[in-house]
Amino acid sequence: MMIDAPPKSNVKLPTLDRFREINNTFPKTAQVLDYKLQGKKVFGWLCTYVPEEIIHAAGALPIRITGYSQETELEDGNAYFYINNCSFSRSCLQLGLRGGYDFLDGVVGGSTCDGARRLFDLWRYYIGTPFHHVLTVPRKYTQKAHALYFSQVKQFKEHLEEFLDIEITDEALYHSIQVYNESRTLLRKLYELRKLSAPPITGAETMEVLDASFRMPKELFNEYLGNLLDELSTSDNTHHGRARFMITGSVMANPEFIKSIEDQGGLVVTDELCTSTRYWSDPVLLAGEEPPLQAISRRYLNNFPCARMFPSDERFNRILNLARDFKVDGVISQVIRYCVSYAHDLPLLTKKLKEQGIPTLALDVEYGTSGSGQIATRVQAFLEMLEARKK
Amino acid sequence: MKALGIDIGSLTTKVVILDNDNIVTSVITLSSDEAELSARAAMEQALSQAELTDSNNFYIVSTGMGGKSVPFSQQQKAITTCLGRGIHYFFPSVRTAIDMGAESSTVIRANERGRIVDWANHDKCAAGTGVFLQQMAKLLQMPLEEMSRLSFQAKSRADISGTCAVFAESEVISHVHRDPPTPKDEIIAGIYFSIVSRIMTLCKRIGTEKDVAVAGGVALNNGLVHALEEEIGFRVLVPDTPQIVTALGAALIARENIEKGAK
Amino acid sequence: MTTANQEKNKIDAIIRACRLLSRMSQARPDARKSEVLYYQMLSKYYTRLLNAKEEGNFIAAHTVFFPTEILYAMDIVPMHTEATTWMISLFTGECADILSAGAELGLASEICTPHRGLAGAYAIGTLPHPDVMLWSNMVCDNTAKSGEMLMEINHCPGFFIDRPFQQSDEEERYLVGELKDMINFLEEQSGRKMNWSRLEEIVARMDKQIELTREICELRKAVPTPFHPQGFLELVSTDYLLPGQPEAIEYLETLRQELTEMVKTGKGAVSHERFRLMTLFLPPMYLMGFLEKLSQEYGAVSVTEPFFTYWGEGKLDPAKPLESVAKKSYMIPEMRMYGPLDERALGSIVDCAKQYKVDGAIYYADVGCRHTCATIKLFKDILSKIDVPVLTLDCDVVDPTATSAEEVREKLGQFFELLEDR
Repeated sequence: MMIDAPPKSNVKLPTLDRFREINNTFPKTAQVLDYKLQGKKVFGWLCTYVPEEIIHAAGALPIRITGYSQETELEDGNAYFYINNCSFSRSCLQLGLRGGYDFLDGVVGGSTCDGARRLFDLWRYYIGTPFHHVLTVPRKYTQKAHALYFSQVKQFKEHLEEFLDIEITDEALYHSIQVYNESRTLLRKLYELRKLSAPPITGAETMEVLDASFRMPKELFNEYLGNLLDELSTSDNTHHGRARFMITGSVMANPEFIKSIEDQGGLVVTDELCTSTRYWSDPVLLAGEEPPLQAISRRYLNNFPCARMFPSDERFNRILNLARDFKVDGVISQVIRYCVSYAHDLPLLTKKLKEQGIPTLALDVEYGTSGSGQIATRVQAFLEMLEARKK
Repeated sequence: MKALGIDIGSLTTKVVILDNDNIVTSVITLSSDEAELSARAAMEQALSQAELTDSNNFYIVSTGMGGKSVPFSQQQKAITTCLGRGIHYFFPSVRTAIDMGAESSTVIRANERGRIVDWANHDKCAAGTGVFLQQMAKLLQMPLEEMSRLSFQAKSRADISGTCAVFAESEVISHVHRDPPTPKDEIIAGIYFSIVSRIMTLCKRIGTEKDVAVAGGVALNNGLVHALEEEIGFRVLVPDTPQIVTALGAALIARENIEKGAK
Repeated sequence: MTTANQEKNKIDAIIRACRLLSRMSQARPDARKSEVLYYQMLSKYYTRLLNAKEEGNFIAAHTVFFPTEILYAMDIVPMHTEATTWMISLFTGECADILSAGAELGLASEICTPHRGLAGAYAIGTLPHPDVMLWSNMVCDNTAKSGEMLMEINHCPGFFIDRPFQQSDEEERYLVGELKDMINFLEEQSGRKMNWSRLEEIVARMDKQIELTREICELRKAVPTPFHPQGFLELVSTDYLLPGQPEAIEYLETLRQELTEMVKTGKGAVSHERFRLMTLFLPPMYLMGFLEKLSQEYGAVSVTEPFFTYWGEGKLDPAKPLESVAKKSYMIPEMRMYGPLDERALGSIVDCAKQYKVDGAIYYADVGCRHTCATIKLFKDILSKIDVPVLTLDCDVVDPTATSAEEVREKLGQFFELLEDR
């Protein structure tokens, strides 16, 4: 398990601690409590098909609903959801039932998958948040689909305006787009660093940054990330590994999982997750006279696809590009038990990656898994296989 | 006419004889492979204990796993129905009761008359039961009472798998053989927590309304009951003789039938 | 056995079973004429499917809650995939071969048995080969994602209908757009043109069909209820397999007549009605006969099935056929399973229980059906507010190894005891 250690040791990155603080205290972070004290609103959202900029433009704080940070006993989740629904939805519901999100003024979701839509049904009845909105999200990218999604986005905006008794102006939307695009640009810069053969930041550390990105005010996040990028450029840190990995699959937000892979000697250089590249890679593109709401709507439906979208080729192509750009040696797929869309895609995805000479390790996980035990053993075997291939 | 209830379980068979509202006698014997034999043996013991002879008139209600295999009983009732009546006799304020038996756990919700309103049980799974506890006791090489006693000492608990008895067993083994080995009290606390979690899932499915009581042989395990209380968040009521609750319920139903003029 | 023979195996078995049941029914003096019509109807549907290739017809396999009206209007032979898997289980009790074939394809055990079974059935060639695969996202992710794989297994092209989650003008418009696109696709693939006047006729009949079903369900409110315990399956299959077809109208009209007579004379479906039950989701297919027997034994009858027979409001307008087909997908009882479970949807279930004077409800919890199981506690809680107890029965719709008749008898017996005791 020993990696060839570089001659110098890596310096600490102070900003990471600040991100860690937020992740450790989430959902009731200092910023959230601060917002509430100031009389401002906080909205929880689920799924990358919820247009965050609109919540931001309304002057509210959007935070992502992510359930427990670790795999945990889900008594309430099991009782309400029954045992055969994904542990992500069970985890989110349980945290909600136990008051973890009791400060939320609203919840917003998309009709994205069975787990998500049932989560919202149960949330509405058993938890009840003052504002509750579900967007219909088409599964296609056609012009008609865009028209439908736009009408949904518009409806959402109007519902929000009514609830908050405000008008969300185009100016506000432009401003929010700017702030969010800034985050995306900064994250892109961070990921560029991971393309290096000895990146200055690990996959696990990147996950900590990503987690914070949807748990805090974007302006503050941009400031912190700017600082982090500075620290990285001056730190001269390097990380080595026996192989370069991409992580793909179901929603995953636990850096421990990535850390346990990296502890084995694998270097996670990129990821295709709705908490990572599927969240931030696409900016909102403003084209000429196009109204901002339209631009936002277009961006969100065309976004790096979730496996629920049809046809699946869109997602596969983008994954292959990602693998090529980051010079990935192997892919580690982690699919949560009962996560139907991702499980269905896996055989074909594996085949396409194989055609590119990239093997896939398929792991069945529960949401929040730390990756110890069985998983570590399999990663170990995967690494050895990859090393043997190189020879 | 006296009322007699027989509860034939997988591990033990219980008999309760009632004279009006009073428990004349109660008996707990080991079940044999044949339900009918178990029933007869238990009845004989109960009769001799109460110094009654066979010629006394009895209305017999049978219940439990082997409840249907008792040809000499006048009526057969479901465990849940009997559990409701039985626990109501001990604690009329009870609205939720958890029966922790040898091979299965059942949670019932009952109304103010001891009538069942809802129930949930694990019947396809071995975890959360007396047999599971006995297996664990063997692994840790100590009697159940010792396990219970030690559980109060634990300062933290080992992580034992929530999902399956088979996995739990291998996890316990690995905790015992670890270097350094996990302290036994922590392992026990972990085992109890996993049992309690499974029971809590059942409770949550049907809702837990106060007062809550426990029944069944496993309820004698103070440490486990305490672990349950920690999870539920309040005290649970434990009858002095938790194993006979269901048999008592059967006897109470027998008595009702007698009152209605049954012969 | 040649491949051609094997291909006809399962469908043949269904047809033979239907014919046998139809004959048996005719031989009984007290038999319902509607029952005979029903089996004849099924038999005809599957015979048409069986002979489709020989007769030069175009087969379109489709998933559940699909706008089959369009297929009938284009003279395309429909093959309802999930229902056919249920029928295989119901009429032959044999699913082991198709389920294991499904597993061999690499399909996870978490995928529900109807889907595993139908993929397996295609893979080993015991279902007729379809010319196209049509599917939608109704009613779950499994259905939405299964199409591409079924296209691959059958080496045929396919079309996916994206049916929006909620209901609004824009969403209905989008759905109509999807239907138009599908028609174009089918015209291209089959060489057949859409016959719009035929579609209008079908929609007109469909409107009548819905009205008849509503009337029949009104009659079921009578105490004692006149329709036999598992009769709802007849209503469900009629809607799934033969929307807007003349045979369906004939069957429903005959049934309505029979039930009206029974209600007039106060005759009940079971000799001594003791418990009126609401059925939530689907009982195991292979136990239907057994459940019918149990119903008679305990005097327990299913009087309503909110997900399958309790239709929402609305009428279809034949002058706007596509809009009507789209609208229908928001009226079907099953839409309570797919749309948001807001106060209205939940309220309609409570209303249903009250209107039918339900004593208790049984939730058949199919372990492979995730999104329905997520509503078990929710429905239990809303029904407990009107004092209706709910039994949860773990089972599987199609796989006989999941639960035995004995286990079901015990659970139901316990539940009836609970109801009796109150």
